[in-house]
Amino acid sequence: MRGRDDIRFGFELVFWREVRWLKRRPLLLAMTTIVPAAIMALLMMVFGAGLATKLPVGVLDLDGSELSRQIVRTVDATPDVRVARHVADLAEGRRLIEAGRVYGLLMLPKNLERDVLGARRPEVVFFYNSQMLTAGNVVLKGVNAAIPTVASGITLSVFTAQGIPAASAQSALQPVPLQISPLFNPTLSYVFFLLAALLPAILQIVVTTTLAYSVGLDVETPYRLRVLGRLGGGLFPALAGKLLPYTVLFLLLLGLADAVLFGWFGMPLQGSRWMLVLAAVLFILTCQFIGALLALLLKNTASAVSLATLLTASAFGFMGIGFPRFGMNAFSQGWGALMPGTWFLTARIDQTVRGAPLDLSLKPVLILAIFALVLGALMVFYLDLMRRRIDRQEGAMRAAVAGEGAA
Amino acid sequence: MSGLAATFRDELRRIFANWPVFSVLVAAVAFYSLFYPQPYLNEALRDVAVVVVDQDQTVSSRDLSRRIDASPDVAVVSVLPDYPAAQRQVFAREASGIVVIPQGFERDLLSGRPSPVALYADASYFLIYQKVALAVSGVTRTLGAEVMAKRLVAQGTDVAVATGVADPMPLTAIALFNPQGGYASYLLPAAFILILQQTLLIGVGLAGTLSRDGPPPPATPLARVLGKLLAYLALEAFIVPFCLVAVPYLYGIPRIGGLFPLLVYAVLFVLAVGALGLVVAGTFRTSYAVQLTMAAIGMPLFFLSGFSWPAEAMPTPILWLARLVPSTSAIDGLVQIGQMGASLADLRQPAFILFALAIGYGGVAVALEARRGQGSPLR
Repeated sequence: MRGRDDIRFGFELVFWREVRWLKRRPLLLAMTTIVPAAIMALLMMVFGAGLATKLPVGVLDLDGSELSRQIVRTVDATPDVRVARHVADLAEGRRLIEAGRVYGLLMLPKNLERDVLGARRPEVVFFYNSQMLTAGNVVLKGVNAAIPTVASGITLSVFTAQGIPAASAQSALQPVPLQISPLFNPTLSYVFFLLAALLPAILQIVVTTTLAYSVGLDVETPYRLRVLGRLGGGLFPALAGKLLPYTVLFLLLLGLADAVLFGWFGMPLQGSRWMLVLAAVLFILTCQFIGALLALLLKNTASAVSLATLLTASAFGFMGIGFPRFGMNAFSQGWGALMPGTWFLTARIDQTVRGAPLDLSLKPVLILAIFALVLGALMVFYLDLMRRRIDRQEGAMRAAVAGEGAA
Repeated sequence: MSGLAATFRDELRRIFANWPVFSVLVAAVAFYSLFYPQPYLNEALRDVAVVVVDQDQTVSSRDLSRRIDASPDVAVVSVLPDYPAAQRQVFAREASGIVVIPQGFERDLLSGRPSPVALYADASYFLIYQKVALAVSGVTRTLGAEVMAKRLVAQGTDVAVATGVADPMPLTAIALFNPQGGYASYLLPAAFILILQQTLLIGVGLAGTLSRDGPPPPATPLARVLGKLLAYLALEAFIVPFCLVAVPYLYGIPRIGGLFPLLVYAVLFVLAVGALGLVVAGTFRTSYAVQLTMAAIGMPLFFLSGFSWPAEAMPTPILWLARLVPSTSAIDGLVQIGQMGASLADLRQPAFILFALAIGYGGVAVALEARRGQGSPLR
C-alpha cells in the first residue's frame, strides 16, 4: 500500500512531467500560450474601435435646394454616417449598395423644399443594407437622428412665423419626448458587448480541443496510461497532476485577456471579483474535463479532437450573445444550457458590466460547479473501471508468467 | 499530364478511404448545416419583455402602457410602482427594459407641456436593446405626433396642415435585402461560407499530413498540386451547391442572385482554400497541429471578414491580413451576389483577390512540394 506522501509525491511527479512535456512538445506549448494569445490579440485589434462610426452612405439629391443641402450636411455631421457619394439616379445608388461601397442611400425627392413649406409632407426615403446587420443599423440610426432634427427645425420656424413664442413652440414640438438610457453599456461599445464575450468562447474551444489532444496522447495506448498511473501512484492523482498545469496556463491566459479588457479598454468591473474568479476556475475545469473525457471514452486522439471541435466551434451561437437565448427554439435553448460557456458568460456579464446582485449569479456558478463535479466524478469512475481492467490483465499476465516458471 | 491525372485519382481515393478526412469534408458539413442554424431559426425576436413603472396611474399613462404592449416587438410583462423592483427584474433577465412614466404625465399632456417618458433598456445584449429602443420610441413618436396634431386642430388649424406642420417630412426607411430583418437570413449565408472554408482547410490539411499506406504516384510538384486542387474541386462541386443553394433554400433564406456569378466565385473560392490547405499541410506537418489551430481560428476569421463588424471600423493592417484569408473576399462576393443581387461586374475586386490567393498559395504549395521532393528522393 502506498501512503499519503507517496500520492502527493506521485501527483507532483506527473505535474512536473507534464510541464516538461509542454516544453518539449511545441504544439502543446503553442496551444496553451501563443496561439490563443495571438487569436485574442487579433480580436482585440478587430474590435478595438468599440464603435462603428462614419460609415459611408450615398445621397440622391433630386431637389438641389437649400433644404436638401441642409439635410445632407446634418446627416454627414452625425457620428454614425459619412456622406461618401452623390449619385445621379436610383440605379447607380443601388449598384453602390450591392457592391458594398455604401451601406445606405438617402433619397431626397424633387420639390422637397416647396412641398415641405406647402405642408404637403413629402417623403424622404432611406434605403439601407439590412443584410449587413451591424452596419445597416448604424447608418439607419444616424439618418433616423438627423432627419427629425431638420424636421423639427422646420416645424419650429412655422410656429414662430405664426407668432408662437420660440420657447413654447419648442415644448410643443415634442409632446412626449423619450429619454433613452442604455443600461450597463452606456456607449454601446462592441468591446464590452461582443469582444468581452468572444474571448472566453475562443478559450472554450482551445481548452477543450487541447485537453482532448493532450489526454488522448496518454490514453491512446494502454501502456502509456499504465505508465502515467504508476508515476502518479494511482490514476486519480496522476490525472490531477496531468490536468493542473493546463488549468494554471489557461487561467493565466484568461487573466491576461481580462487585464487588457479592464486595464486598456476600461471595461467596468461592477460586480464581485471573487465570484468572477470562482466562475472562471469552474469554467476552465469543466472545459478541461469535457476534453479529457472525450479522450478517455474514444481512446483515439484524432476522433477526440474532432468531436471536441465539432461540439465547441459552434457553441458561441448557442450562448445567446448575438441572438438571445429566449428567442431560440427549445433544442437550442437545451443545447446551450449544456455548454459551460453559456453559464460562464451569464455570470461574467452579471459580475462585470451589469453589476448584478450577487445572489443572481449563484445559479450560473452553481450550474458550472455541478458540471465540474459530475464530469469529474464520471472521469474518476471511468478511470477506476480502467484501472481494474488493467490490474486484472496484469494479474492474469503475472499468473501466466508464474505458471510458466513453475512448469 | 499523367502525373496530374494519377494524383487527382489518388487524392480522391484517399479522401474517401480516410475516415478522418472524409468525416471533416462531408460528414461535418452535413452535420453543421443541420446543427448550426438551430439558434436562429425563429428569425426574429418578438415580444421582448419590458416592465412599466407607472408613477402617474392615470388614463393616459395606462393608455401609453397598452400601446407599448400592443407593439409586436415588445410586451409589457408587469406594471410596477417603483424603479428598484423593475431593476431587479432586469438584473434577473426577466425583463429587458424599463419604461418610467413619471408623475404628472397626464397633467402635463393636457396642459400642453412636454410629458417626458424615460426608457432604460438592457444594452448588455445589443439585439435586445435595439428591439426595445426602436419599439418604445416608435410608440412615443406616434403618440407625440397625434397629440401635437390634436393641439393644432384645437387651435383652429386645418387637419391636413396640422399634420403637415407636426411631421413636415416623414422619413421612410426601407430595408433592402432580408426584408423581414431575420437573424437567420442575415447570418447563415456568410456563416456557411466560413463552415465550407474551415472544413476544407482541415480536410486538406489532414489529407496532407496523415501517413499514407503507399508512395504517392510519381508526378512533378506542379502536377501534384494541380491534381490535388482538381480533386478538391470535384468533391466540392457537390458540397458547395449543397451548402450555398440547397440548405439556404430549405431554411427559406431569400436568394436573389444568378447562379453563374455564384459558380465563378465558388470555383475561385475552392481553389484558394484548397491551395491554402496545401500550404497549411506543408508547414504544419502533423495532423494534430492542423486540427487544433484550425479549430481555434475559425470564429475569429468570421469576424475578420467585415461581415458582422464593418471593415471601416478595423485598423488598416488588420484589413490587409483579412484579405489574405479566402473567406473574407468570398463572403463579400457570395453574399453580395446571392443575397443582394449584385452583378459580377460590380464585384471584380474580391474575385480578383481570390484568384490571386489561389495563384499565390498554389505557388507556395508547389515550392513546398518541390522542397519535400528534394528532401527525400524516395517520395
